[in-house]
Amino acid sequence: MSVDVIEDLNFLKFIIDRVNIGIIIIDKEMKIHLWNQFMVSHTNVPQEELINKDLFEAFPELPRRWFRKKINSVFMLKNFAFTSWEQRSYLFKMPHNRPVTGGVETMQQDCTLMPLKDASGEVQYICIAIQDATDVSIYQNMLKEALTKLEQSSRIDGLTQIFNRTHWEHRLAEEFDRVKRYGGSLSLIMFDLDHFKKVNDTYGHLVGDDVLRATSKLIKKLLRTSDVPGRYGGEEFGILLPNTDLEGALQVAERIREECDAAVVTCEDVELGFSVSMGVTQLSDAVENHENLIHQADTALYHSKKSGRNCVSAYRPEMS
Amino acid sequence: MTELAQLSEDQRDCLQELVNVAMGQAGDSLARFLEVFVHLSVPRIKLVASDEVLPEMIQLIGNIDVSAVRQGFYSTSQQVRGEAIVVFSKTSFDELAEIMAYEPDEVNEQSEQELLLDITNILNGACLSGLAEQLGYELNYSPPSLIGTELNVGRLFDKEQLSWSQALLIEINYRLDNESFKCNLLMLMPGESIEVIKQSVDEFLEDL
Repeated sequence: MSVDVIEDLNFLKFIIDRVNIGIIIIDKEMKIHLWNQFMVSHTNVPQEELINKDLFEAFPELPRRWFRKKINSVFMLKNFAFTSWEQRSYLFKMPHNRPVTGGVETMQQDCTLMPLKDASGEVQYICIAIQDATDVSIYQNMLKEALTKLEQSSRIDGLTQIFNRTHWEHRLAEEFDRVKRYGGSLSLIMFDLDHFKKVNDTYGHLVGDDVLRATSKLIKKLLRTSDVPGRYGGEEFGILLPNTDLEGALQVAERIREECDAAVVTCEDVELGFSVSMGVTQLSDAVENHENLIHQADTALYHSKKSGRNCVSAYRPEMS
Repeated sequence: MTELAQLSEDQRDCLQELVNVAMGQAGDSLARFLEVFVHLSVPRIKLVASDEVLPEMIQLIGNIDVSAVRQGFYSTSQQVRGEAIVVFSKTSFDELAEIMAYEPDEVNEQSEQELLLDITNILNGACLSGLAEQLGYELNYSPPSLIGTELNVGRLFDKEQLSWSQALLIEINYRLDNESFKCNLLMLMPGESIEVIKQSVDEFLEDL
């Protein structure tokens, strides 16, 4: 930078007014000494009205106590101070430059407070520089959303839109540990579509997929929000029922069996009914881990299959 | 592999003295600003290789979960740049919020993060400005940013990402009188900065 460039104050004035950053200068009494064009055009308050006015009177919505302490830190410690949109979305309520595609109402701001020292090194003024971070915040929020979706999709079975086996088993293990530690009841239903291979072979996989979708839709409708359904395997489903004893679980299972039996799936001019076989068990002291619990419900399910399908069986030790 | 830099005994003693003076001033201004007494340890100065940083931190702080904030700084005139990492091992947010003049209803997850950032900025500024002044540097700071919360010390950064081989480390720990708050400040100035600081220290010694 050559001397004539900085010494021509007109150049500096031009830069201060036209740079895409809000610039405010205040003194120790919080009086405003400079308010650049960026601030004028975004707050709609003309300079004449603000110069020599108290910052907090001009902007009563500023968090007074906190901001005063922050400003004091710059005066006392002669240090820079910062605020970021990520923790505090803005200091001065202003519209931003994405009024159409923004999705937020107020300009997200990154602010820097700079100490302006005189020749003896004392801080006489503070410059507040305000940067519009709305763009960055929008991209960051999009990224966060995408990550949330990704995390969700790694838990959800694409076809049936209920939890996949990995996540469902993880939930079961958590619930198992909770009950083992703190007590309470926990029941488990495992069920399987009857003659599903035949449906696929006769009508094709598209129809088979529709039956699976219809089943998950139906169980979601019948379950309480605390119950956790998951797709365990091809045509096998699991439902964990926290705070539910065997009797309650049997009622839920029977209800699902009835509704499945009554349901009709329509796909490509084919109308077809289907049925399910179910096994139910309740967590008891004898069960050592959650795999054991699945095994018990599976054993009861196998018993239902052997007993002619389209029925519900409760696990009994003599079944194994 | 480049030869590792060394500090002569004179350089080390001088730098230690400069840092001690800077920390004395820092403690003073922090106490005035925060209106609480802040205990500062005697600063430790060391040249570390990049693969020594994490083990060093684990040894200093322990293999525990912490919150951490980083902030960059650079000299406007000399080729000195570095990053300060503040590791918070014990934080009573209520007390910090009180000290930093938050209203009780303003304290939430967002403001807790803001507190960590602000404390980092204040500790950093207080400690560095005194040191910089003695060496004749004018420093600029980048905004602090969060490395993470509830993070194990060993996972604060990925050592594969450290592109330097050696850095000057200045370590200080802080605590409040009643032990409700404890943190370690680690200032790391890597690579060329070491040579520049050594030169500045030599010049300082010549001027005595």
